[in-house]
Amino acid sequence: MTLPDFLPHWPPAANGFLVFGLLLLAGLLGGRLAATTRVLPAITGYIATGFLLGPGGLGWLDAGVLARSRVIAEFSLGLIVFDLGRRLDLNWASHDRWLLPMGIAESLVSFAAMFALMHVVGGIDTLEAAVAATIGIATAPAVVLLVTNELKADGPVTRRMLWHVALNNVVATLGITVLLPFIEARATGASWNPVARSLWIIAGSFLLGYAAFRVFTLFARLIGKSPAPQFILTVGMIIVTVGVAEVSRLSVLLALLVLGACARNLDHEHRLVDVDFGRAAQLFFVVLFVLTGATLHPHQFGPIAWIGLAFVVARGLGKALALFALAWPAHISARQAATLGLALTPMTGLAIGIAQPIYDIAPDFGARLSAIVVSGIAILYLLGPIATRFALIRAGEGEPAARD
Amino acid sequence: MPALDFTASDALSFGVELELQLVNTRDFNLAPDADDLLRRATRDAPQGELKPEITQSMIEINTSVHRRYPELLAELRATRNVLAGHARKMNVAIAGGGTHPFQTWSDRKIFPTERFLSVSEKYGFLAKQFTVFGQHVHIGCPSADDAIYLNLALTRYVPHFIAMAASSPFYQGVDTAFDSSRLSVVNAFPLSGTMPFVRDWTEFNRYYDRMFDLGIVASMKDFYWDIRPKPEYGTVEIRVCDTPLTVDRAAQIAGFAQALASWLWAVRPETSPDIYLVHSYNRFHACRHGFAGTLVDPVTGSSRPLADDLCETLDRIAPHAAMLGSQDALAALHATLSQGNDAAWLRSQFASTGTLTDVVRKQAALWAV
Repeated sequence: MTLPDFLPHWPPAANGFLVFGLLLLAGLLGGRLAATTRVLPAITGYIATGFLLGPGGLGWLDAGVLARSRVIAEFSLGLIVFDLGRRLDLNWASHDRWLLPMGIAESLVSFAAMFALMHVVGGIDTLEAAVAATIGIATAPAVVLLVTNELKADGPVTRRMLWHVALNNVVATLGITVLLPFIEARATGASWNPVARSLWIIAGSFLLGYAAFRVFTLFARLIGKSPAPQFILTVGMIIVTVGVAEVSRLSVLLALLVLGACARNLDHEHRLVDVDFGRAAQLFFVVLFVLTGATLHPHQFGPIAWIGLAFVVARGLGKALALFALAWPAHISARQAATLGLALTPMTGLAIGIAQPIYDIAPDFGARLSAIVVSGIAILYLLGPIATRFALIRAGEGEPAARD
Repeated sequence: MPALDFTASDALSFGVELELQLVNTRDFNLAPDADDLLRRATRDAPQGELKPEITQSMIEINTSVHRRYPELLAELRATRNVLAGHARKMNVAIAGGGTHPFQTWSDRKIFPTERFLSVSEKYGFLAKQFTVFGQHVHIGCPSADDAIYLNLALTRYVPHFIAMAASSPFYQGVDTAFDSSRLSVVNAFPLSGTMPFVRDWTEFNRYYDRMFDLGIVASMKDFYWDIRPKPEYGTVEIRVCDTPLTVDRAAQIAGFAQALASWLWAVRPETSPDIYLVHSYNRFHACRHGFAGTLVDPVTGSSRPLADDLCETLDRIAPHAAMLGSQDALAALHATLSQGNDAAWLRSQFASTGTLTDVVRKQAALWAV
């Protein structure tokens, strides 16, 4: 007997709504479970949920579902990176003359530590070690911002942490873009000048971010300073910038960081309102981290994990060394330097975003790179959010009971 | 309980305590940076003392003891410059004003000292709601009985102080319709109000002992009165002023207090318990309407605009101000009668910018000038 056409097909096919809704509900449960431990941040629960449902666990989230959900993840990252750009306050750097040197030192010393470990100790090829170490410079902005929001953290360490995260993401993105020609030189068949590609990405992304800012302020002048229209305007500008960056094959990350930084530093007439993305954005962040967790696989914690572990340790030591060395002239207490160093631990999804152009132009190289850094990233998926949470609470700036 | 000892001090010496707001430079909400700012700035403070206050977004400046207004003004300006310099390096700003216009009181963090934690334990949510910012003026008294007299005589002028210093029209995100909403927060405390009508220090000590024996107070700090004697400093402390938007205005108000005290001790107007008949009413009017409030005089039975009485008072005490070097302070205060007080300035900023974030940005910029 055949069923009439108006009845649903069996088995029913998952559509976008179903995937988004189920990811949200599953993430929510995982987050609440983590919260009940009073030690783990909710993010760890979201990631664990993704891991459990993903190819490395029960396999319910297959590659097709992950691909369909990519737009959600990119939108979430867009909000986060723009927010991070707003923390790049150059006026602050002009008053505190140690701020910028300290940020650059934290990036460079951690790079040197990771590079030395891989190249000198591990004997890994110079270029591959340099690329892996550059990726390692960046702290995961999504993790630090979400833990900050969850704890309602605010204060000198939190503010400095967000500045460092913004800066080390800019340094890492620029670094990878500069290394691209060398990677390109190894890959065969390029019909265009690799240096031109790097210049296009850097200059184009800066120009796009700045142009988007000009449009942003133009609209803001028209709509006024009411929070609700400004919220819609901000989200709209972020989505448009992501779209234009992708179409133009520019760096989404860099363009949004520039847009955020321009909004922070060039809005001299104070047309823009510093909107809080709040609970609406929380929906997307839950899904982002469930999807992030789904990219984990048990083998990343297997025999090759020692590489990742050494990578993580070198990275952490490099950051801590730079922060402690400059703490005294920068008027930062030892406790603040220690908690700041710990808070910068997370290194997750965005690191893969930074490396995306490498996978595009040199897949073989990308695969080898993954072998080096992915287990490090996997370890930090688990440890990073916990470290940031612990650091902000120890700094006295986050309240464990603040989560809602 | 031994009697409270009053440490005599030089008549008309004076000093100021000023509670200030720490705000971030991103959305200009309160920033919990008191601990860090104090750590950095304490060694550079020119004179006086920098102290924490009940929550982490407040700091307090205590000036040293002065005799003349220009010296007090110079110290306040120097301290402001030091604090502003450190704040800029921390990416926070400092602002005057009696309340933060839009902070949420429940987000505040208690500064973790034994005293503040005990206040928090004792008063529950009132402790965090006490994130309001006042100016206290101390006037030195040569004897305990002079202090009691001055305390009572100054009570008539509480509305004048409130209107001159009023800078808290916005609270928890709304225009309260008050020029000074800060004092409504203080009113919630059980030991707020006025000192009882006592004639001398002996009588005051009897009252204090009784309150101590009843277990209601442990020290003079437990009284949140509008004006109170401060026996360990040998002063009378006027506590009704909002923190003005500038240190200059703070110094002017202290100069006014000093000249007024000089006049009161010289003329010795009679004090009467009747002042308490009208005190709450006059005080409310000053908080609600500022200079446009009504002042009822219980002795003459007259009712008149506060601005008129303040204008007359300024004229009356002018010779004393001239003697003490604070003519400029009184002239500036006189000008505010026509120009409007700080509450009026804050409302005008909101009218022109449309957001309370911009109001705080502008008040922080004004404080740092």
